[in-house]
Amino acid sequence: MSEQEEENAAELKIGEEFLKAKCLMNCEVALILDRKFDQLQAMSSDPMSQVSQVFEKSQQYVKRFSRYKNADAVRQVREILSRYQLAEFELCVLGNLCPETADEAKAMVPSITTKERGCTDENIEKMLNDLSLIKKFE
Amino acid sequence: MYLRVELSWNVVVSAEQLHGEGLLLQRALILQLLEDFSNRKANSDYGYFVAPTALERIGDGKVRQDSGDVLFPVVFKCITFKPFKGEILCGVVNKIMKQGVFLSCGPIEKVFLAAIKMGDYHHFPGENPVFQNDKDSKIEKNVQVRFKVLGTKWIETDREFQILGSLEGDYLGPIYKGEI
Repeated sequence: MSEQEEENAAELKIGEEFLKAKCLMNCEVALILDRKFDQLQAMSSDPMSQVSQVFEKSQQYVKRFSRYKNADAVRQVREILSRYQLAEFELCVLGNLCPETADEAKAMVPSITTKERGCTDENIEKMLNDLSLIKKFE
Repeated sequence: MYLRVELSWNVVVSAEQLHGEGLLLQRALILQLLEDFSNRKANSDYGYFVAPTALERIGDGKVRQDSGDVLFPVVFKCITFKPFKGEILCGVVNKIMKQGVFLSCGPIEKVFLAAIKMGDYHHFPGENPVFQNDKDSKIEKNVQVRFKVLGTKWIETDREFQILGSLEGDYLGPIYKGEI
């Protein structure tokens, strides 16, 4: 992105390199960091001393802000969201914020209503409904 | 947003650690990479360096004439956290002031919501100062808040981002247990 001024995630203007970079949902990051932490714990009696502040703060954050906890549920969330024509970034914002209504989803990710996405209210409702089912059965 | 990115870094293995061949050398190299990864903390392109996840390639080492240290080009995958302008994020309130609220958001400790960007929330001073609106929705210490990123600023000297946030918009503001 050459002009910092132009960045606007709401319109999905976040620079080509980031649209291609894989975005991760908080719940996915939580699983990865927990696994890392377990590995460290197996190698050292004081794993907290082995991790950076950035790691520690991220781990607290993703735990606090993850709706889905178990690995199967997390996989299903990505699977369901992948059925819709979403950019990686949009998919992860929806997975993180878990909007309850189509209006909320559109407010959180305004870019999903653009022509290329073609997400109708009906589509969005279906998607949110499928996601809420995962939560119920988790 | 948390990102999975591939980075190419040069890792310097000091001459003292070069005795071992093969696995020992690789171990020294990985330890050095982990240390560099933690020390560098963040950069302006990819944000905060959270955790390396996979070592992809180790290139041919080049000996430094002056010290005998060896520099290896290394390609690896890692998780980073970068805030984007326009993105909706959640944070936790750290401090309430008349002028606004400070939140932390993962590795970012300086998220500022200016009082004038907090919509219908007003400051109520006291021992436990709060921001509150006429619907009795309260923003106080340790409350989780959903906000929109108005702007991000990279501070090179501290190797960190600062965020200016806003609550002006639908579905923004404090969130309660059970909702995210």
